[in-house]
Amino acid sequence: MTRPGLAKLWPLACIALAGLVPWIPGMPAFWVTLLNYTGIAAIVAIGLVVLTGIGGMTSFGQATLLGLGAYTTAIMSKYYDLSPWLGLPAGLLVTAAGATLIGAVTVRLSGHYLALGTIAWSVGLYYTFANLDLVGRNDGISGIPPLEVAGYRLLDARMSFTVIWLGVLLAALATMNLLDSRAGRAIRALKGGAVAAASFGVDTARTRLLAFVYSAVLAGFAGWLYVHMQRSVNPTPFGFYQSIQYLLMAVIGGAAHIPGALLGAALVTLVNDRLQDILPKLFGARGNYESIVFGMLLIAVLQWAPDGLWPLIARFRPRRRAIQADAPRLAAQTMPERGSTLLEVVRLRRNFGGLVAVNDIDFTLKAGEILGLIGPNGAGKSTTFNLITGVDTPSGGIVRFRGGDLTGRPARHVAAQGIARTFQHVKLVPTMSVIENVAIGAHLRGHASPLAGLLRLDRAEDARLYAEAARQLARVGLADAADRPATSLALGQQRIVEIARALCLDPVLLLLDEPAAGLRHNEKAELSTLLRRLRDEGVTILLVEHDMEFVMGLVDRLVVMDFGTKLADGPPDAVRADPRVIEAYLGSVE
Amino acid sequence: MSRTSAILAAAVVFGLAAPAFADTIRVGVTISTTGPAASLGVPQRNSIALLPKEIAGQQVTYTVLDDGADSTRAVANMRKLIEEEKADIIIGTSTTPASLAMINVAAETKVPMISLSASASIIQPMDATKRWVFKVPQNDNLMADAIAGHMAASGVKTVGFIGFNDAYGDGWAKEFTRAAAEKNITIVANERFARADTSVTGQVLKLVAAKPDAVLIAGSGTPAALPQKTLHERAYAGKYYQTHGVANNDFLRVGGKDVEGTILPAGPILVSAQLPDSNPIKAKALEYVKAYEAANGAGSVATFGAHAYDAAILLTAAVPGALAKGKPGSAEFRAALRDSMEAQKNVVMTHGIANMTAEDHNGFDSRARVMVTIEGGAWKLLP
Amino acid sequence: MDLSIFLILVQDGVVNGAIYALLALSLVLVFAVTRVILVAQGEFVAFGGLTYAALATGQTPGAIWLLGGLGLAAFAGGLWQERRRMRGGALLRHALFTLALPAAIIAATLVLAPRRAGIVVEVLLAVAIVTPMAPYLYRIAFQPLGNASVLTLLITAVALHLALTGLGLVFFGPEGFRAPPFSDAMILAGPLMIPGQAIWILGLTLALMLGLYAFFEKTLTGKALRATAVNRLGARLVGIPTAQAGVLAFGLAGFIGALSGVLIVPLTTVYYDGGFMIGLRGFTAAIIGGLGSYPGAVLAALLVGVAESFSSFWASAFKEVIVFTAIIPVLLWRSLRHGNGEDEE
Repeated sequence: MTRPGLAKLWPLACIALAGLVPWIPGMPAFWVTLLNYTGIAAIVAIGLVVLTGIGGMTSFGQATLLGLGAYTTAIMSKYYDLSPWLGLPAGLLVTAAGATLIGAVTVRLSGHYLALGTIAWSVGLYYTFANLDLVGRNDGISGIPPLEVAGYRLLDARMSFTVIWLGVLLAALATMNLLDSRAGRAIRALKGGAVAAASFGVDTARTRLLAFVYSAVLAGFAGWLYVHMQRSVNPTPFGFYQSIQYLLMAVIGGAAHIPGALLGAALVTLVNDRLQDILPKLFGARGNYESIVFGMLLIAVLQWAPDGLWPLIARFRPRRRAIQADAPRLAAQTMPERGSTLLEVVRLRRNFGGLVAVNDIDFTLKAGEILGLIGPNGAGKSTTFNLITGVDTPSGGIVRFRGGDLTGRPARHVAAQGIARTFQHVKLVPTMSVIENVAIGAHLRGHASPLAGLLRLDRAEDARLYAEAARQLARVGLADAADRPATSLALGQQRIVEIARALCLDPVLLLLDEPAAGLRHNEKAELSTLLRRLRDEGVTILLVEHDMEFVMGLVDRLVVMDFGTKLADGPPDAVRADPRVIEAYLGSVE
Repeated sequence: MSRTSAILAAAVVFGLAAPAFADTIRVGVTISTTGPAASLGVPQRNSIALLPKEIAGQQVTYTVLDDGADSTRAVANMRKLIEEEKADIIIGTSTTPASLAMINVAAETKVPMISLSASASIIQPMDATKRWVFKVPQNDNLMADAIAGHMAASGVKTVGFIGFNDAYGDGWAKEFTRAAAEKNITIVANERFARADTSVTGQVLKLVAAKPDAVLIAGSGTPAALPQKTLHERAYAGKYYQTHGVANNDFLRVGGKDVEGTILPAGPILVSAQLPDSNPIKAKALEYVKAYEAANGAGSVATFGAHAYDAAILLTAAVPGALAKGKPGSAEFRAALRDSMEAQKNVVMTHGIANMTAEDHNGFDSRARVMVTIEGGAWKLLP
Repeated sequence: MDLSIFLILVQDGVVNGAIYALLALSLVLVFAVTRVILVAQGEFVAFGGLTYAALATGQTPGAIWLLGGLGLAAFAGGLWQERRRMRGGALLRHALFTLALPAAIIAATLVLAPRRAGIVVEVLLAVAIVTPMAPYLYRIAFQPLGNASVLTLLITAVALHLALTGLGLVFFGPEGFRAPPFSDAMILAGPLMIPGQAIWILGLTLALMLGLYAFFEKTLTGKALRATAVNRLGARLVGIPTAQAGVLAFGLAGFIGALSGVLIVPLTTVYYDGGFMIGLRGFTAAIIGGLGSYPGAVLAALLVGVAESFSSFWASAFKEVIVFTAIIPVLLWRSLRHGNGEDEE
């Protein structure tokens, strides 16, 4: 059983205590109202934590998504006299459906295209709301009923407070659960690079869509709360400016942290309110200086805390994860028969414009051998890796694996065949612990849906995934580092973490890109031992390496590349004696 | 000082605010002094400074908040004014959607409010919620009828309409469509533009192509000049009508010679000096214009600001009756204030003469609008 | 729609598009050099336009006091940020740039504004008043943020936009302004009536583009800027300080913004907050163009302008809906062609 540590529970305890706030004697009524607005904004901001802070997708359209939820429940309860409680599932459904539709197009956009894409559809939707008779055009709909519990109308701000902050609590819990699940790790992996995630079988497009729809559903939920508290709706709160407000709440609080969302929402709401009181006293009532001072404050805070305020309050310390060592093992692949042909590369080619990076390379790999791919810098080794693993698409040639055609298949399909890899430039997620990073490798060996993760129905499976991750980490000798932030390790050790992550995939074929770089002498020896043991267990290994001593003592066969073409292929000794290799390559070795 | 303690210190400083209460009438004002409706909100804010500090022997205080024409902020402001400032009455806000969002709060907290925005839908049809809501600007249907009437009298049969792509333009499109139909005037083109648009050529080409006898432009402030200037460029030769939304001198400045001859309905205050002395509105209106320009400079007056002044006139008239039933700050006083405002008859304001009834919380009649044209760069009262 | 309407709409779209193109260019430049998406670009347009409108009607623009204030703030900010390093010559240069320059501009304006010194002087003065604001703002808001994420820089730019809009309201008031055209000439070409001002806009846009091209291709400073855009670290290694490149990029952005404002204010009404929507179109064009390609941005800007002009003819109430949803497929196409969108940040 993985038990959430105290560090993770105390924000929840704070929220629970906060539930009592409005009943404090002498608590000004308007403060409760302000906290209600804070709560609604916090829910939207939590969605942005998942989407922007963690998923890396900037959205300028959250307020419009809030509008989808708001209008749905407004129409149902005002025009069809349905209970506002029915508006909740309907609102969430409409928002989710809308977001899926919008997201199917937008999340395919990358980077700034995505940001502009969100502006585009949110401006479009805003003016559609404003010109649609069904939703009352610019004037909107007013006289919407409040929430009712057992016939009691929740008009009082303190009543709304309970509902809203219960909602915040739920949203925070659900988000924590989601991020701690298999699907959540996939979302978090996006930040370490979509390529790495895809190489372990994560469907990055679907994962991006998931993050988008999830944040939209939270926005829709906030919209439902908003409407029944405000009891009127028109397009003004769903425009571009409001979307920006939500985004800056998330960023000022600390975009990658759930408590940051709460902090940011509270701060922005509170500061805006206080400025209205303070500034007229300072400057008189002749002008409006709120937005000026607010903007300047914001700039000052961002200079002081570029990653938001929460990281200043609580430094990033991954929680200790209790590993259930006796969890049933995950199903493992049957290794192919030793000596059978595993991988065939035929006339593989890659052009970048006029440059031929890989020029009609041929080689085969037998099950259970270690093949070294060597060559000077720029010989095309890493490109060959990328072509085999589906990170890059070949311009020509064939890649065959266990008899099936892999040419040009996407990375996650390649991963599903049992091919795992490491990267020349380490791609670990900095905001995750070592073991969490390793667990990403086991993505394809779990099946829990995002919803199961959200509802904590995935614990048994997740325990098995983590047990596997712990096992692989122990295998590479880094069991002690499990709970450290991944990027706090030395670079050489980070490469070893990548090997553990690759092993979590239960690979038939392991592709290692310069695994020994940055390792000390005895660490290299340990690595050699590990790789030999893996070979003995039936794993086939293809590695790129510069360290000749390391390679020569380890591999069964070598393929030498230079300027994209294959120079030689054979046992280390034969290759070493090949005059062409000596001339082109060994002569220039460092 | 560590960062954490700095944050705590900031929290403490921000937390300090507790107004003390005396026995005074508290007026809460929320208007749009920033954002898209700032051209309405700014003169309104400037007018608040001119309002009486004492009514019927009671001190009056005003707390002004800005809502930026955003309905969420308008409602939050209203709650703040009621819950924190203990307002007895709310004045505001400048735009229709935000006013519509506020009326629920008025009814729920039983605090009367006087809206400063255009649409009749804020107070009509009267119901249990709108009982608490009053409105001092002329209803848009009154103004639309005036334009349609003037068009019919001048032989206009077809009209091209172009309005803001917001609540103002939308409200006018609806009201004018109704008013035009009653006078058998056909609307041959119906276009929208945004306040900050840099070009309205597309819309204007469409208008010109429809060959209407007249064009009605429904926008507020200086942005309403752009379609008219573009129509001039395209040599449109028909009549030009504008709405009372343009009734400030900035419009004349930006419009220049291109807006000469434009016809519009407006509150009588726009041409107060030209009103006959027999008109009781004249004295009130001049009083406001004088006070406003003394404080803000010659030529600075705008009719929108006068709505805030009118709200105070209504309040001043209603307070004595309400004081008999309760002390300021009490629920009785607020209820009595509402009742008293509803009972007011023949209240002379800068924009008209109001006769409130249980059904009509605006109370203006045709005396609240005059037809005006622009001549020699100045507003001129039409007979 | 007949041919004449078609041509008029194209003409209208191209004139608007030219302004969007200018803004798109400066957004691309600023982003490439500093990684800042300059949301506040539109404010320079509004300030430029409003300042020129004031000068052209013989008034002293309030913007000079804003310039002075920002200069002072940049002086103080620079002093604080580099309190350990700034000595002697550097301090003097800093003071000259942030104190003496605005003082000189303010003095010149106070002397020249009431005298009606003619269009050329007034245009130059308006541009001179607004242009330095941008580098001052860079010093105050962005330079200390050095290596912050693009998201943080973006939110800072948003904050700047909020503050500047607020300042705009204080200094210029809520109503719009317009200036007399540079020339009253009207060129008749078939169904087209091309106002002289439109010719001015197109001509100056073209001139500015050629100027920028020459600047980037021929001058050392321009090449240095380009180098910074390609590789910040590399540029620093060969002795081009990123901060100076940032100041320069912002200076160009301020100049282009101010000039755009001056160009449009005789043709349309400019409001204190009107720059934002113009800037958003420029931003749209910059991104459609690929946020790195100057010709791409210009082409996209013209496209946005023409799309806008046609959709306002066809369905004016849904103009924004049409323009903005039409760009999504373009974005999708660019995004797919651009590759898999690997590893931002």
